Amino acid sequence: MSVPVRLKPATTDATEAAAPPRLAEWLLRRTLPHGVRGETILGDLVEEWRERGGTRAATVWYWRHALSLTAGYGRRGERPAGQAQAGDRSTHMFLDNLLHDIRYAFRSYAKAPSFALVILATLALGIGASTAIFSLVNGILLQPLPLPDPDRLVYANEINSKGDRISVSWPNYLDWRARARSFDALAISRDEPVTLTGTDRAQRLRAGRVTGNLFLVLGITPVLGRGFTDDDDQPSAAPAVVLTDAFWRGQMGADRGIIGRTLTLDSVTHTIVGVLPRAFEFPRFGFPRPHDLFVSIGPIAGSPNLTDRGNHNGFSALGRLKPRVSVETADRELQAIAAGLEREYPNTNSAISVRAERLADRLVSDIRLTLLTLLGAVGFLLLIACVNVANLLIARGAARRHELAVRAALGGGRARLATQLLVESTLVSLLGGALGIAVAAWLLRLLIAVAPDGTPRLDDVRLDGTALLFALVASAVCGIVFGALPALQASGVRGRHALVRGRAAGFAAQSHRLRRGLMVVETALALVLLTGAGLMMRTLQQLTRVETGFRVDHVLTTRFQLAGAEWTVPRRHAFYADLLSRLRALPGVTNAALAYSLPIDGSNWNSIFIVGDKPVPERAKLPSAAFSPVSAGYFETLGMRLLKGRVFNATESPDSPKVVVINETLATRLWPGEDPIGKRLKQGWPETPAAIAPWREVIGVVADVKFNGIASDTPLQAYLPFAHEPSRSVAIVMRTTVAPTALAPALEGIVRGLDKDLPLFQVRTMEQMLDTSIARQRMSLLIFVVFAIVALALASVGLYGVVAHGVTERTHEIGVRMALGAEQRHVIGLVVKQGLSMAVLGTAIGVAGELALSQWVQGLLFGVTATDPRTLAAVVAMLLAVALVACYVPAWRAARVDPTMALRAE
Amino acid sequence: MTTPAYLGEFEHLLLLAVLRLGSDAYGLDIARELDARAGRSVSRGALYTSLDRLEDKGLLRWKPSPGSLARSGMPRRLYTVTPAGLTALRAWRGTLRRMWRGLEDLLKEPTS
Repeated sequence: MSVPVRLKPATTDATEAAAPPRLAEWLLRRTLPHGVRGETILGDLVEEWRERGGTRAATVWYWRHALSLTAGYGRRGERPAGQAQAGDRSTHMFLDNLLHDIRYAFRSYAKAPSFALVILATLALGIGASTAIFSLVNGILLQPLPLPDPDRLVYANEINSKGDRISVSWPNYLDWRARARSFDALAISRDEPVTLTGTDRAQRLRAGRVTGNLFLVLGITPVLGRGFTDDDDQPSAAPAVVLTDAFWRGQMGADRGIIGRTLTLDSVTHTIVGVLPRAFEFPRFGFPRPHDLFVSIGPIAGSPNLTDRGNHNGFSALGRLKPRVSVETADRELQAIAAGLEREYPNTNSAISVRAERLADRLVSDIRLTLLTLLGAVGFLLLIACVNVANLLIARGAARRHELAVRAALGGGRARLATQLLVESTLVSLLGGALGIAVAAWLLRLLIAVAPDGTPRLDDVRLDGTALLFALVASAVCGIVFGALPALQASGVRGRHALVRGRAAGFAAQSHRLRRGLMVVETALALVLLTGAGLMMRTLQQLTRVETGFRVDHVLTTRFQLAGAEWTVPRRHAFYADLLSRLRALPGVTNAALAYSLPIDGSNWNSIFIVGDKPVPERAKLPSAAFSPVSAGYFETLGMRLLKGRVFNATESPDSPKVVVINETLATRLWPGEDPIGKRLKQGWPETPAAIAPWREVIGVVADVKFNGIASDTPLQAYLPFAHEPSRSVAIVMRTTVAPTALAPALEGIVRGLDKDLPLFQVRTMEQMLDTSIARQRMSLLIFVVFAIVALALASVGLYGVVAHGVTERTHEIGVRMALGAEQRHVIGLVVKQGLSMAVLGTAIGVAGELALSQWVQGLLFGVTATDPRTLAAVVAMLLAVALVACYVPAWRAARVDPTMALRAE
Repeated sequence: MTTPAYLGEFEHLLLLAVLRLGSDAYGLDIARELDARAGRSVSRGALYTSLDRLEDKGLLRWKPSPGSLARSGMPRRLYTVTPAGLTALRAWRGTLRRMWRGLEDLLKEPTS
């Protein structure tokens, strides 16, 4: 007997550590006998796979034999070695039955493919839409902020006497910081765009001006260099800058030797002291672009502007709570401190308080309601889809009662039949769910694309495990809950009873009642969605109809900032005059002007003021207005209406008498029934010296323009001549005869020609600004309308199905009626009436539901109440009209029943 | 005495391979032996189910032996032919011999 030559296994450490394909191994463990018997086979396979070098060819080999083993042992079944427990056998039987049910389900769906397709499409839509919206809600509202221990992060602002948020004054912040005990650290920061020069091309950067402890509050440690420290807050500190990872990589070439080098920001040399980690992103608060860098507050901390307690310079506070301190406690403590400051500094702090809230809540406060409403809407859509599927399944169950009866008669147990129906519905639901995930992935991409610029945390939105779990649960619940109804019903078929083919009247009536009930629910849900869409449509219509107070078309705007000591007042005047004359000379430009703030965009300078001929009210009741320096030609360029007096013109010069143009609201508020021309007002506190805030004479009144978006009320507005207030931050507005965007390159060319270190930013047309301001409403409308159309389609198909099914069931009855002399129109009337009664009942319930929900959506609406009767009436009319058509078609078919045929069918 | 078990052709080859390999015959060696001597590349599904069948018929038995690192520590099944297996083989060989008798000239292998 020869001894076989045992080949020395050509294995290496690498292949020994490597493993054969996991999936194949998993499959084998499922099918091979348990214990030593199976393991020996697995071992042989592994050994040979390694001998074959663990290569791709070896893996193919492994798979081939794994499959042959699966087939071999699968056919052979569990080895009967007597070890199988009774439990195993019953599990085995259950699995066997399940497998059988699944095969049966596939076969029966294959026999009625259109039925299966309708169910799949309905579920895919419902589950897809709800998974997409859920992902949006999950990413934006539910996921914790990507910062260490985010629940301890608190955002705080000061609030004025009206309860509006205002920014935090620097001295007030210093007092909070010194007195508050709730925080481990309390920082402030503000957005402060800066111009980077000294590189190839001047750039506008998004920067944050922050206190030294900000990164401590956020729990972030720089990966290179250091963060800021409290020393950086000292007025004597050298200007320092910390770069974000994106800026360091994108603009600095990820140079690790960058620490200690300098950047020229707004003409000031800043030393780079640190680089932040890659994963870190400072909360953007509605800005579409992330930050580029952060600058220390020290260099400006000593400026009179900052140290004036009455100035709120755009800062907001971020604090990290001490462990086990609640936001409410911190909020109360800050309010108590603010009350103390109010007593200590009545001149500046009267009626000024604080509001602190979780940072995560603050970030999404604007969009929370929109998202929750959309989630509610999509929940309704999912319900409609489920109801429709249940309806279809019930109809199918009714149509199959003969088959089920035969199976029951042949010994199919009630539970066994119900299980089989459940398997069928769950199978189709899971398939629908899988399709739904594909729909969701597509929809989510679309949603992110149409989401308004600056939607918070959009980067955190993705179709993740949670969303997939949501889809899985949604589809499983659809399958089980909505499959249970027909399953319970059908399993109740008494064999003998239904075996008699014909009018199993009792069963038909029972199934029909259920379907009609579901139809009522579906109509009600559809009505709520349709009303939501109608209200959003009205809102958008109202928003686009809002009188803005100026001509929006053919206006191009942009901004720039003159930074640095070299821009003295005379130099600024000369620059502005030069710029304006060049802009006005551009072909296609009819007028051009400069302004500090732009309509729609919001005011950059809100201030209290006093008027000359009225008693000065107590400090908390001083009127406040949006102040905006504008150049001559501003009102003409925007096409604003002059109501009284005159606007600024070439006679305004730095030395001319101080004047002001006010808006209609200010005129009627301060001088009701009087002629405001010639009256005087002064920006600032009553005691502010005239050298800083001179008295100005009102020379004109212009019509109101919308200043903060178009949904909010117009504030009091005061326009000052640029000649007297040559601000450094400037917006250009140009009225054009051609498409405004076509002039953007020429505009940039002119500015670059004047100063190469002056980057323009926010180059937009006025129409784009308007669009942006209503982007959120536009998105809500889009989603609602799509949902409503789908809901209406599903409801009408459902209604049609129920009525048509009813007609089929009643063919015999209709035949008898017609044989006895009923006319076609009577038959049509009969069927339509029964169908419409469901729709009417559903509509009534839907209206009641909508009224109950109305207070929830009111916050999303503009210019229309949530109970708007016109919208409701239109929606009801539309729904009933669609229902009428859905009922009429089967009714018309019923009326063509040939009585002799119908009776012969008996 | 009972009638010796009937052997299929593949079962016959398997029993012979186990006999040839001696005391340490396990799945991988058996497959190699079949490949080398009989020119049969056999699917593992067929191999192990047939070995199990021979065990059920009482013609083969096996004992486990501890596995090596190359097998990720999984045990081997070392096969031996049982006396019943030997009886079946002998009976089968007897049958073949009787059938071959007188046909040697007709079926002799060509010499070259």
